[in-house]
Amino acid sequence: MEILSMIALMNVTKSFGKTLAVDDLSLRIEPGEIFGLLGPNGAGKSTSINMTVGLLNPDKGRIAIGDGGSPHDPAIRKQLGIAPQALALYDELTAMENLRFFGKIQKMPSGMLKDRVPELLCKIGLWDRRNDRIKTYSGGMKRRLNLAVALIHRPRIVLLDEPTAGVDPQSRHALFESIGELRRDGVTVLLTTHYMEEAEKLSSRVGIMDKGRLLALGRVSDLIASHGGKSRLYAQRADREFFLETDDPMAELVGLQAGGTLLQFKVESPDLEHVFLNLTGRNLRD
Amino acid sequence: MNAILAIAHKDLKLLLRDKTGFFFTFFFPIIIAVFFGSIFSDNGGKPVGLHVMIVDDDQSAASEAFIAQLEASDELSVQRSLKEEAVEQVRLGKEVAYIEIKKGFGDAQERMFWGDPPEIEIGIDPARRGTSGMLQGILMKYGVNAFQKRFSDPSLMRRSIQDSLESIQSGSTMDDSRRKHLTGFLTELNAYLDQPTPIVDGPVSGNSGFGGMNPLVVTARDVALEKRGPQSGYSISFPQGIMWGIIGCAASFGVSLVIERTRGTLMRLQTAPIDQLHILGGKALACFVTTCVLAAGTLGIAILFFGIRPNSFPLLSISIVSISFEFVGIMMLLSVLGRTERSAAGIGWAVLMMMSMIGGGMLPLFIMPEWMQTASNISPVKWAMIAMEGSIWRQFSLNELLVPWMILWGIGSVGFLSGVWMFRRSRSE
Repeated sequence: MEILSMIALMNVTKSFGKTLAVDDLSLRIEPGEIFGLLGPNGAGKSTSINMTVGLLNPDKGRIAIGDGGSPHDPAIRKQLGIAPQALALYDELTAMENLRFFGKIQKMPSGMLKDRVPELLCKIGLWDRRNDRIKTYSGGMKRRLNLAVALIHRPRIVLLDEPTAGVDPQSRHALFESIGELRRDGVTVLLTTHYMEEAEKLSSRVGIMDKGRLLALGRVSDLIASHGGKSRLYAQRADREFFLETDDPMAELVGLQAGGTLLQFKVESPDLEHVFLNLTGRNLRD
Repeated sequence: MNAILAIAHKDLKLLLRDKTGFFFTFFFPIIIAVFFGSIFSDNGGKPVGLHVMIVDDDQSAASEAFIAQLEASDELSVQRSLKEEAVEQVRLGKEVAYIEIKKGFGDAQERMFWGDPPEIEIGIDPARRGTSGMLQGILMKYGVNAFQKRFSDPSLMRRSIQDSLESIQSGSTMDDSRRKHLTGFLTELNAYLDQPTPIVDGPVSGNSGFGGMNPLVVTARDVALEKRGPQSGYSISFPQGIMWGIIGCAASFGVSLVIERTRGTLMRLQTAPIDQLHILGGKALACFVTTCVLAAGTLGIAILFFGIRPNSFPLLSISIVSISFEFVGIMMLLSVLGRTERSAAGIGWAVLMMMSMIGGGMLPLFIMPEWMQTASNISPVKWAMIAMEGSIWRQFSLNELLVPWMILWGIGSVGFLSGVWMFRRSRSE
């Protein structure tokens, strides 16, 4: 039996004038999966997300959400939660008021909101500051509230656009915890980020985009194996130093040890950043 | 509907929490109205420097002397005029009152002890009772002065006595007994004046023996104000102040949609299970409520503290609702024209300022040259001003107001629908 995708982009293309923003993108995200969408600036990630939530219509192709519905369908949109990169909150309102307002917009019954708002405020550590206007909050507090607003109506699908941009390690840790909870609750998450270690840590699969095209898609370990390149081995013997790129650093180490005692060594395995740079190049992007 | 109410409630809350925005929305229009109203209004009915027209029907030395006294006075600022012109000026509310020195004024002053006293008529709007009373008092004062002067000048007094004696002798309507007593009294008085002690200057006491003689008769004639003129400068400045407030509201709410877009909150709203009409409807409702409250509050102050008396409260209410609807539509259109806060604010203010300049929001329509009044037909502000003034002081009937109302609703509808269409189009691009 075929498992239905929670998010499916099928041969989606979108242009703005002469600029091809997304070029024939096909992508399926399974229920409960945390999917990391990576790419340099201008790769087409935001356009893809905007099409996924129905803010933009594709020129070609089709997008299906949930059980095959359109993102323009209010019933489907009720299943979506979005935390934009910009802190999409009202500065002059308190955390409580922001959550209540967005809950009402999500058509949540008042009784449900009454319980859900305090629950979320406690979860993100803002209960004590619930009645303060959020213009008085730090960047990390706002970022946590930004995520909480996306979760207020218990969506089945959450889109997180750079959820940890510009926050301190404590807030980043708290956000990771919250995203981890989403995984445990079976929520499907589409995550875009520039932090490779974040994508590596949180995502079960990642897709790497550049110039509107999906360059690679798969589990992080598979992508590293296929696109990460060789491991880098640095070793030092009494007589000389070694710097090698190799597919099998252990074998190389054994060989070097056989030629004389190693004073120190370091193995640098390829990671997602290598995959990213190998696929998208090292040229600076605007 | 709940989503619309939630968005409107949120927008109103944001407006109330923005102290600067709140001040400029609700208090600035009142400050403008009071400031310009006080500049253009009369001085509140105070007698000091009261400007009046004066009509001299008598054209005698006595009337000329009386006018000279008034011209030299601090209490009045007089302008000579013909009767018809004076009445018209008062009727139109351009002058406070006119004073007419009736024919025979000089002769009556000469006779003093015989016949009717000198007569003056003042023409004034019956609503200005206080001013009328003060004006009568001022005239009486100068009438008494003339009377007193005659008593203090023996030669003038003798001439008056002589004239009176001749008049009494030749008068046929007086009974003999009275003629005899008056002749005796005046002869005795003439003899008294021949004595060396002069009559000194000083106030005439009620016990002086002349209290029964009337130095001046002032009659007041009602000249009702032409109803289509403004009651005072505040009648003009308050509608203008309200207009500025409403324009400010439209500009602020227009920018607020762009702020939602740039801050990302619009994205949240657009991805929520609500229609785009709910988003725009919520903004529109908040803007509508704010403009209605602003107009009603400012007019309340105008009525309570500045003596504005709208011709019709029901018609004024409909005008305010129509104006609010018009500017909600304009706001909706402006909100989708700018992509950034700066461009939206710039476009909004430029468009609204232009509308206001040619539409009577800055200069009253009735003082504009004719060609400009014609050109102002293209400005939505003009129709808003006409609707507001029509129900405050122009005394428009329901039929006369229907045209501006329909134009206001038309502009509002076109603006709203265009805004919704452009908003939907921007999303599907």
